[in-house]
Amino acid sequence: MQVTETLTDGLKRNFTVVIPGSDLSEKRDKRLAELSKTMQMPGFRPGKVPLSMVRKRFGEAVAAEVLEASVNDATDKMMAERSLRPAVSPKVEVVNAGTEADLEFKIEMEVLPDVTLPDLKSLTLTRPIAPVTDAEVDDAIAKFADQRATLVPVEEVRPAVTGDVVTVDFLGKLDGTPFDGGAAQDSDVEIGGSGFIPGFAEQIEGMSVGEEKIINVTFPTEYHAANLAGKDVTFDITVKALKQKTPVVIDDAFAETNGFENLEEFRKFFKDRLEQQRAGASRMKVKRALLDELAKQADFTAPETLVEAEFAEIWRQVEAERAGGRLDAEDAAKDEETLRAEYRAIADRRVRLGLLVAEIGRSTNVQVTEQDLRRAMINEMQQFPGQEKMIIDFYQKNPRAMDRLRGPIFEDKVVDHALELATVTDQEVTTEVLFADDEE
Amino acid sequence: MSTSVSKAPAAKKPVLSREAMFDVIRGPLITEKATALSERNQVGFKVAIDATKPMIKASVEGLFGVKVTGVNTLIQKGKAKRFKGRPGKRSDLKKAFVTLAEGQLIDFTTRLA
Repeated sequence: MQVTETLTDGLKRNFTVVIPGSDLSEKRDKRLAELSKTMQMPGFRPGKVPLSMVRKRFGEAVAAEVLEASVNDATDKMMAERSLRPAVSPKVEVVNAGTEADLEFKIEMEVLPDVTLPDLKSLTLTRPIAPVTDAEVDDAIAKFADQRATLVPVEEVRPAVTGDVVTVDFLGKLDGTPFDGGAAQDSDVEIGGSGFIPGFAEQIEGMSVGEEKIINVTFPTEYHAANLAGKDVTFDITVKALKQKTPVVIDDAFAETNGFENLEEFRKFFKDRLEQQRAGASRMKVKRALLDELAKQADFTAPETLVEAEFAEIWRQVEAERAGGRLDAEDAAKDEETLRAEYRAIADRRVRLGLLVAEIGRSTNVQVTEQDLRRAMINEMQQFPGQEKMIIDFYQKNPRAMDRLRGPIFEDKVVDHALELATVTDQEVTTEVLFADDEE
Repeated sequence: MSTSVSKAPAAKKPVLSREAMFDVIRGPLITEKATALSERNQVGFKVAIDATKPMIKASVEGLFGVKVTGVNTLIQKGKAKRFKGRPGKRSDLKKAFVTLAEGQLIDFTTRLA
């Protein structure tokens, strides 16, 4: 085997490899001899078929097989010898594959950059935390109770006030003609609540049972039905009944009806839930900070092929969003050129970060175990109750889907590891700040 | 002169049309024995059951453009078989081992023109 390096440019490496024809024919003959031992053919006892016959029958297939095996072997060997780590599987182009002649082929590949591991111990990160206050627990319980408030019909005839629920029939008209979806019978409208177009519930306020009224409403400009967005319409309203919300008394009895021992337990449950949410948010934040830090340190050049692949993936999404008209207003304003450049930068960052995370994982021997995968699968299953069997089948039949589960687990474990080493200081923040969504 | 009808033996060299030759030679005989015999410059054929040695010789020479120095034939009797209890018999097969002149050979893998 003779290897010549034809190109070394950044991360790109090209090689030309020549394997003597004699090596190949030796391998071919060996393979044919193996085949002849098991080959069956009418007119011959098993294993007694002459080699020339075997060659005639399987010659081409064996030649192709040997060719492929030799190319793969040579490529692997070459990479092992030079300790190259390819970014993606190398592109091989066979120049000359004559049966007798020497085999000559070109390899085009990109190697992974040398990733210098950042000193995780020197990282300092702040983890925002927001302790759950009693007031917040009360709020959450109040909201929960409000949803369960019972509606009691109001006997006396009086105008509807904020907090009441009015049962109405309405018929919407655009330019005097009814439009689709604009009519309903016995619809419950909460005065002061949300859910209807602005101005709708407000104008019902003050009406009493039996009253009829025509109200004017303007649909918001960003309304989902294009033919109605921004239009002025009228609604014929007939009030049929008036109901009042009776607030639930939050006490031990209420807790009991919801399956808890007493109010204490009930509060604890809510507190736990809030705390869990916050812990998740804290982790997200600190993870984001960690990855940002790491990205800063990942100053190596990313292999072009990987960036290109990642970019293609992002771009596909952008195109789809554009086709569906769901593109960010911000993005839509930019011209094609700038947009591409921006997303390419994002792709580049992602690839570098990915490589760095993978490298950290590799150096610290982070493994995704069978158990982790199973846990992830069970998590998945809980999201689709009733379809557990299908999900198990899906993952058993699709090893690639399993790999998709593996990625995030691996990332999480690396992050855990990094966070253990890094200096993390907790910083108390308000709830709003904790849940604020920062820009990527 | 005399147009006496002789009861002479069948013509030493039977004249066969190309179509007739294809009727005589049914196919190559590719077996262990036939391949072994190729060392002695012999090739095997499956031939028509009523083909004579001179006919086989003429056909092989005519179809493959070689010189034949000898023909040996045999009839392999078909096996007696039973199908659903009823006795039956497989058809007989005539094989011919043809000796070629020194240095000549037949390539079965190329198509006949």
